[in-house]
Amino acid sequence: MEVIYSTLLLAVLGFGFGAFLAYSAQKFKVEEDPRVKMITEVLPGINCGACGFAGCEAYAKAIVKGQAETNRCLPGRPQGVEEKIKKILEEYKNVSF
Amino acid sequence: MKVFLLFFSAIFVNNFVLARFLGICPFLGVSKRLETATGMGIAVTFVMTVSAAISWFLDKLLISTGLEFLRTIVFILVIASFVQFVELFLKKTSPDLYEALGIFLPLITTNCAILGMVLLNSLMKLNFVEAVFHALGSGLGFALALVIFAGIREKMDLYDLPEPFKGTAIALITAGLLSLAFMGFQGMVKL
Repeated sequence: MEVIYSTLLLAVLGFGFGAFLAYSAQKFKVEEDPRVKMITEVLPGINCGACGFAGCEAYAKAIVKGQAETNRCLPGRPQGVEEKIKKILEEYKNVSF
Repeated sequence: MKVFLLFFSAIFVNNFVLARFLGICPFLGVSKRLETATGMGIAVTFVMTVSAAISWFLDKLLISTGLEFLRTIVFILVIASFVQFVELFLKKTSPDLYEALGIFLPLITTNCAILGMVLLNSLMKLNFVEAVFHALGSGLGFALALVIFAGIREKMDLYDLPEPFKGTAIALITAGLLSLAFMGFQGMVKL
């Protein structure tokens, strides 16, 4: 009996708090620059740090802000990551966020 | 009367950081700048107070159903949810503070000061109002310790210290001296 009760209790609590968090995640949603997400997807995602930033996402953010060149990703060079990043930046050049 | 005693004893006499030695990790980690220390103190105070209120009801529920052995996991669930909430809220309202707190913000979940406070509430068999004020006092005590320490550390950056004492070494010595100072309050409130 105890097993059933404890499972039920934890399930209800977990569901309750999960719902609360899902609701607040919607409410406090942060609008991010869509280019950051696109560039992060293009980058290899291995977070090697060769570009001098904390990770691929940090590098993507720096590129979008214009604080970093597009040619700093060493592991992505054979796959032509630089060209892809340039393409993304070119495509969205005239869109304001 | 007991409420006020609990409240002030949690701030000064039984200060969580300086008298009970709980929550030392953020105490050393986020006390380099006064601004982040204040933000951290407010975040911890909020999480403590809300989780104490909710945990009080859950504790009563657990006792009445005979499931006291679930206490720890249920309390951790409550604390973790509210830490997540604070994280979402800060990310939206104050991205700078969010960046500055970094990993220490999600780590409030595992801050032993909060779990310790919630477990103490149920151990001391406090009623609802007492539990909430005890939590508020504990949070403010944590914030106070953090702010004092951050203020000292900010000033200490400008001092010409001997090479071996620079950085963490002098910070640890200062923390010890601060704790000694708070020992002066010891025994002032008997509960």
